[in-house]
Amino acid sequence: MSQLLSLDEASRCMKCGFCMSSCPVYTVDHIESHVARGRNVLIRWASNSTIPLDGAYGERLSYCLLCGRCEAVCPAKVPSAAITVAARTDLVSKRGLSWLQRFVYRGILKHRNLMARLLGLASLVPGVSVKDGKPLRHLADSVSIFTKGLSIPRLSRPFLSTRLPSRMAPPKGVPVRGQVAIFPGCAFEFFFADMGEKIAFALTEAGFEVVYPQGLTCCGLAVRSAGDLTTAQLMAQHNIEILSHFDHIVTGCATCSSAMKDYGKWFPENDEWQQRASSLSAKVSDLSEFLVGEGFQPKPTEPITVTYHDPCHLKWRQAISDEPRRLLGSIEGLKYVEMEGADQCCGLGGAFGITHREVSLAIQAKKMQSIRKTGAQIVVTACPGCLIQLRDGARRHDLPVEVMHISQLIRGQREPPRKPRSAGDGEEQSPHPKSAP
Amino acid sequence: MSLSASTLGKLRHIVGAKGLLTAHLDLASYSFDGTSNWQGMPEVVVFPTTTEQVSQILKLATKQGIPVTPRGAGSNVSGGSVPVSGGIVLCTTRMNKIIDIDTANFTVTTEVGVVLNDLNQALTRHNLFFPPDPQSFLTATIGGCVSENAGGPYAVKYGVFKHYILGMIAVLPTGAILTLGGNTVKNVTGYDLPQLLCGSEGTLAVITQVTLRLLPLPPARQTVLAIFNDMVTAGKAVHRVLSEGIVPAKMELMDNWVIRRIEEVTPLGLPLEAETIILFELDGIPEAVGRETEGVINICQQEGAMEARAAHDAKEAENFWAARRAGFSAIFGNTPIALAEDVTVPPSQLPEMIDRIQKIAKKYDVTIVTLGHAGDGNLHPCVLTDEKNAEHYGRAEKAVHDIFSTALDLGGAISGEHGIGLGKKQFLKQAMSPEAIDLLRGIKKVFDPKGILNPGKIWEEA
Repeated sequence: MSQLLSLDEASRCMKCGFCMSSCPVYTVDHIESHVARGRNVLIRWASNSTIPLDGAYGERLSYCLLCGRCEAVCPAKVPSAAITVAARTDLVSKRGLSWLQRFVYRGILKHRNLMARLLGLASLVPGVSVKDGKPLRHLADSVSIFTKGLSIPRLSRPFLSTRLPSRMAPPKGVPVRGQVAIFPGCAFEFFFADMGEKIAFALTEAGFEVVYPQGLTCCGLAVRSAGDLTTAQLMAQHNIEILSHFDHIVTGCATCSSAMKDYGKWFPENDEWQQRASSLSAKVSDLSEFLVGEGFQPKPTEPITVTYHDPCHLKWRQAISDEPRRLLGSIEGLKYVEMEGADQCCGLGGAFGITHREVSLAIQAKKMQSIRKTGAQIVVTACPGCLIQLRDGARRHDLPVEVMHISQLIRGQREPPRKPRSAGDGEEQSPHPKSAP
Repeated sequence: MSLSASTLGKLRHIVGAKGLLTAHLDLASYSFDGTSNWQGMPEVVVFPTTTEQVSQILKLATKQGIPVTPRGAGSNVSGGSVPVSGGIVLCTTRMNKIIDIDTANFTVTTEVGVVLNDLNQALTRHNLFFPPDPQSFLTATIGGCVSENAGGPYAVKYGVFKHYILGMIAVLPTGAILTLGGNTVKNVTGYDLPQLLCGSEGTLAVITQVTLRLLPLPPARQTVLAIFNDMVTAGKAVHRVLSEGIVPAKMELMDNWVIRRIEEVTPLGLPLEAETIILFELDGIPEAVGRETEGVINICQQEGAMEARAAHDAKEAENFWAARRAGFSAIFGNTPIALAEDVTVPPSQLPEMIDRIQKIAKKYDVTIVTLGHAGDGNLHPCVLTDEKNAEHYGRAEKAVHDIFSTALDLGGAISGEHGIGLGKKQFLKQAMSPEAIDLLRGIKKVFDPKGILNPGKIWEEA
């Protein structure tokens, strides 16, 4: 597979060290091989064979959350996160994947049906899924031995694809403005289906017919970030095939939107897929970006104090930070308090949160301190990954806050009549009917 | 040399298993600094967290004759923190607590691993101001700044690090812990040892804690942008501003080449046709800032500026200063090698120095781009070259030589704020008499008889 970004880019780093001021990893462990400046030198050395492409090198490449903060502060605008991904890709192409990576990326993430079946089975185990609002905590927690103590969310029962009709029209009285496809990603499909429903609902309230396309797979970012470009491209192609005929694709997952907006860069210049990928990328929006653009007005709420955590994949990858705040600010009754360092990483960074648990926890601890200082009742974010890490942190630090996805606070002005709750519903009552009105 | 397992064991015992690095790839990231041409691999990196640990490390190193190179963030640009003799890199970045902000006496006591920008943010919350502002402030540690006697744009009005050092704790290579100076502005008690350690580039002792003098935050600031169509005229305007009794907080100069590169990376609306831009910052009480702003604009116009105006708002002002900060990166990012110099001349000689730099560029047929702290006469002429082209590189080196000679000729110095380190030690003989260099060697011997601290820096071995 041809290299998309030349590793020579690393030599544009002139070692000023500005990245060291903002790197979430370096600012907790102070190890220079873990920050862009040090890593760029290693990447340079590896590409001219001064150092071998071995496990030790791979380990240094793994110490990056790919948050992109270093790129924002870099005066020479060196794309250090992208260079790190390119270096991982280069390493994988020469040394291959570990059996675990192969299993997860090529065996599971790529095959949504298999994933659904496996997780579906898992969800039958009492306590592993959220069904009746009273899950057996210890059983779900026992899974966390595989995640070095990171509390993983319970599975939703049923999954989002079963909850949503394939088409939902806007409620009566709301003029129809168009059609959107929602991209649920793995998180809203399997773990946060209740939030997935609320995303769909908000979009109908904004006047859009919402389509839940069948057969989508994972966005592929985790696979791409780990350096398995070939598999990631296959996943992107799969999603592009399904989504290309829609005008708007909206997701509530900062990671998925950052990946899909980047699809164009996943294929080489002359590749036949490059054009298709780029045109798809141009149609992808983050939920808040889309809603603010459409002038969506959320419904008032009872008085609550809320703070917001910027997902790196939203702020540093997509330059979206005003939109979620504007959306929250437009909710009557909601008191917004800005936290110190709202745009500091939560420390999860996908697999990083498990493979480099100690550093991840140190980054998380800083975030918890900022949240605590605000005195907010609710901390809102726009990324399921951050949500998992923030919930884990709130529990670990005994923080009296509720961690929510932004979709959980933005109800539309016109709520459709509620249907009596059916047995298969999630922890919170679904606010919209199961079929198109 | 190669450190024995027992030595590493002792170091591990002092700093703990997580306080040292020995893997090749980790050491590699401590083998360079902010320059493009110096490199040296350490054998171990240690991260002490207390003065006591520093003392034990140095005691061990002296006993076994192991070289120790102190390092903060390694953002220096002189080669000064590159461990060319191998041995131990003693990295202070985990000694990063601000110990006391004394708002009544306008002092701060801090560990040396604190990043200058973090200190500034903490001080701003108390309405306090620590002016020295090396443009690496986002990353540079206090210890590194003190050891290099760093300065920045604010030097013209407020001076550099040495003007703010009241006291410190430092550890001698023998392991002896010294408390030097105090916390008063006036203090004439024996030789001024804190001043001696400041700027000693980590060759005499390891500083672990400092007490710095502070000022109240000025209540008002204004940025003025002045555009000139030739650099010598700009230099004259700078000199006239000072001689008319206006001392701006900053007066920074950027040439056309730098302006264009900055605009390519981050469009900030700088005028591309400008030969030279001078950025002024006036600070103080609002009335004074208002009058001085007017004064600066008038003088620039009288001296022939194409345009001179106040920044429209704080946002625009911040953009201008961000552009200035990006200056060095703009240069380094656009050439294989930039020989970035740091010469300083008395402010009245600034126009002459600029004129002569332009002549040197013509003489050797090389590109020399210039930015710098025009107000204090500290210029950073950068000769753009490529090591792979030996003939060109040779001409570039000759140009640098001439720049140094010119600065000394005009009564200036070969380094204003970066230090000698490795980069300029071959030029030290031009700037100091043999007797003075002998004195440096003698002082080094008193502090560090076995010569373990940052060996190979500042002067060439006789």
